Amino acid sequence: MPVPTKIEAPSGAPPASQPSQKSMTKAERRELQERQRAAKLAQKSVAASSNAGKEAAPSKPKAASAPSQKKSGDASGSGAAKSSLAKDASNNASAAVDDGAAKSVSRGLRIFSHFGLPKPVGHSIKGDIHPAIIRLGLLFSEFRICGANARCIATLTAFKTACPPSIFHSFDYATPSHNTLSRHLMTHLSPQITHLVAARPMSVTMGNAIRQLKLEISGSDIDMIEQDAKDALCHKIDNYIRDRIIIADEVIQELAGKKINEGDVILTYARSSVVEKILLNAHEEGKRFSVIVVDSRPLLEGKALLKTLTNTDPPIPCTYALLPALPSLMTEVTTVLLGAHSLSANGSVYSRAGTALVAMIAKGHSVPVMVCCETYKFSEGVMLDGFGKNELAPPRFSNPIKHSQPLAPTPNLEILNPLYDLTPPSCITAVVTEVGLIPPSSISSIPLALGRTNL
Amino acid sequence: MSTDTFGGASQRSVDNLASRLRRRQVVGSRATALETLLVLRQVVSKARFSNMEQLVEIIRSVGRRLVDAQPKEHSVGNTVRKVLHHIREEYHTASGTNAATMPQTFSIAKFVLLGQPRQHTVAPKAGGAKGTLKENDPDDPDSFARGLKPVLMEAIQDVLDELETVYDNVSKNAKDHIHSDEIILTLGMSKTVEAFLKSAAHHRKYTVIVAETAPSYGGREMAQSLSSAGISTFLVPDSSMFAIMSRVNKVILGAHAIFANGGMFATSGSLIAATAAQAHRTPVVVCAGQFKLTPLWNLYHEYGALDFGDPNSVLGFEEGDLVDKVEVVNPYYDYIGPELIDGFITNDGDHPPSSIYRLLKETYDDEDNEL
Repeated sequence: MPVPTKIEAPSGAPPASQPSQKSMTKAERRELQERQRAAKLAQKSVAASSNAGKEAAPSKPKAASAPSQKKSGDASGSGAAKSSLAKDASNNASAAVDDGAAKSVSRGLRIFSHFGLPKPVGHSIKGDIHPAIIRLGLLFSEFRICGANARCIATLTAFKTACPPSIFHSFDYATPSHNTLSRHLMTHLSPQITHLVAARPMSVTMGNAIRQLKLEISGSDIDMIEQDAKDALCHKIDNYIRDRIIIADEVIQELAGKKINEGDVILTYARSSVVEKILLNAHEEGKRFSVIVVDSRPLLEGKALLKTLTNTDPPIPCTYALLPALPSLMTEVTTVLLGAHSLSANGSVYSRAGTALVAMIAKGHSVPVMVCCETYKFSEGVMLDGFGKNELAPPRFSNPIKHSQPLAPTPNLEILNPLYDLTPPSCITAVVTEVGLIPPSSISSIPLALGRTNL
Repeated sequence: MSTDTFGGASQRSVDNLASRLRRRQVVGSRATALETLLVLRQVVSKARFSNMEQLVEIIRSVGRRLVDAQPKEHSVGNTVRKVLHHIREEYHTASGTNAATMPQTFSIAKFVLLGQPRQHTVAPKAGGAKGTLKENDPDDPDSFARGLKPVLMEAIQDVLDELETVYDNVSKNAKDHIHSDEIILTLGMSKTVEAFLKSAAHHRKYTVIVAETAPSYGGREMAQSLSSAGISTFLVPDSSMFAIMSRVNKVILGAHAIFANGGMFATSGSLIAATAAQAHRTPVVVCAGQFKLTPLWNLYHEYGALDFGDPNSVLGFEEGDLVDKVEVVNPYYDYIGPELIDGFITNDGDHPPSSIYRLLKETYDDEDNEL
């Protein structure tokens, strides 16, 4: 056995791999390694498209190590598979000495490994998922419903329509005797939520709303008649949507609207439902101002905003530019209005990728940056970095529509489309919430943000 | 300038290049510099002059025409200035008057220049011609031109050689700037940066993240080229530059033109990258040939200087009536101030932004700043 592998193997392989490896003789181990290396070389020489390559990568060494599994009879199937993968990884590290390309690829994967790969969804339905949730899952994964507010409202509405009837379908026989609505609903709700998360990672807003919903369910009176309890729950969901999102938005519109003056040039990035409403509302009030919509791939959501803004009568004067043009436009801007996905306790804003760049450039030009954000978007905990927690857009967003040469990932080339970034609080002048305009550092002092009052 | 001093063919080639510059058929600082040089060579070889002033005036007038045709391709003017500088040097060597006896003013710039002579500048080549040059000879008006032309051709050839080897020389020390396992961010399609990164890849294993740089999407081309050279490459949209910057060790940019104050024009998108890098305290390094050094002070930056491109690539006609209602902006360049740049890697050594003005004083003659 070559020396590097000897050093690498114990550290790289999890404990599960130890018995299978120890049960092999030295010759067997060497043989296995040779085979794996040959398989890897063959795979590299094929230089197929990365998707095919990725699928082949785990399967080939597994096939190669199949005899070893038979020899170490006591190891369970999954354990052995895991060990072969781990050995492959350690092999990779040792092979890097003579083969640099393998190392660079594995290194690249390691840096971005936590992003995970966006998976095709909607087709694997596990358990008793309500049709409304399946539909919603598809809408999420197709990005037909996009944006923190829209997704939260859609989720809550789907739960409202989905949960109670499905309880009738699946649980009505059991409910009266030895089960309560609250416990049923919890167990019934979890797979639905899991399905939605599988479709697209859950937004902070959805998380907050679902947490509140669960709190309400567990707090509902056990002795209540089932129908009444359900009605009460639906009512509470409606109230949550109304109080925390719709009314909150109206208050934010009014507060932010006061900051728009006659003749202002407002710059906004991508498309935020709140910002859109603020601008339309201010326009309806008769204020004359112009809007610069800055946009960027992968989603190019600003075009939708542009359509709504120009469809008013008279149309709001709009300028449209892509993100690289931003610094040249910033000189004429009076206020920057941004939306948010969520707001963490230290005041940093987690929002559509590119927002941080806009806020940063605005700060450099001393232009006030207002982030419009309802209090239900607050998330506890401190976020320091937009890189750690992020989400990748599906591969179909990786090529610009008009671009003549679509790029496909190759072993050396990966295409990443992060959807979010984190704006540091230092770049934000004020956060517009339904409880007023506050500096980003004061987020945690808002009682509404901390005490989940009522649904 | 009238046709007789130029020669008809030279006049045509000047006109041809001027119109191609105007129509943006020649773009990119190196391409324009090369074309300018070829035209200048032709002009000088055909030109008729009987003293130095006439020759300088001929070259300047060609320079003026080309610069006016496309004022935003700064390397056109730079090449003309450089050629003038070399020609003067050759003239002084050939005619026996050396640079020290040139009419000069006392200035710190001159002091610095004389204190640090540069190696590549003067190499006395035409010793044989010394003393035989006679300006304004009434008997044979062409004798001056005849005597000087071989030297002039050599001078132009020097500039041409420098231009042709610029990528090699910039990337000569690439491995000293990029270290193993580093993550480099770059954007746009810059041939200089491409050569630099590929040269570093011979010695180091590192990762490059390329921002795709809408709307030209030059970054996609760059990513393709780098990955095919075996460099581990990630392509990201421009929007994620801030999110990714916390993991980046170094930002490497290309330049369009470098100014005397140490600032530069570069592909739009470079400014947000440089600003994000500054926010994360990530070093920003610029790879550029010295033909991009431009004797201008961009102290009062103008929006219009950015030059604007085709709005169709930002918001196309497929968007329907939206096109009528919306103003679309697509600037070509960003102006990046010297405070955002940590260093320039050029074909003649590495320089901080603060010493660019000194390089300019060495490279061009002050009297040519206005062509």
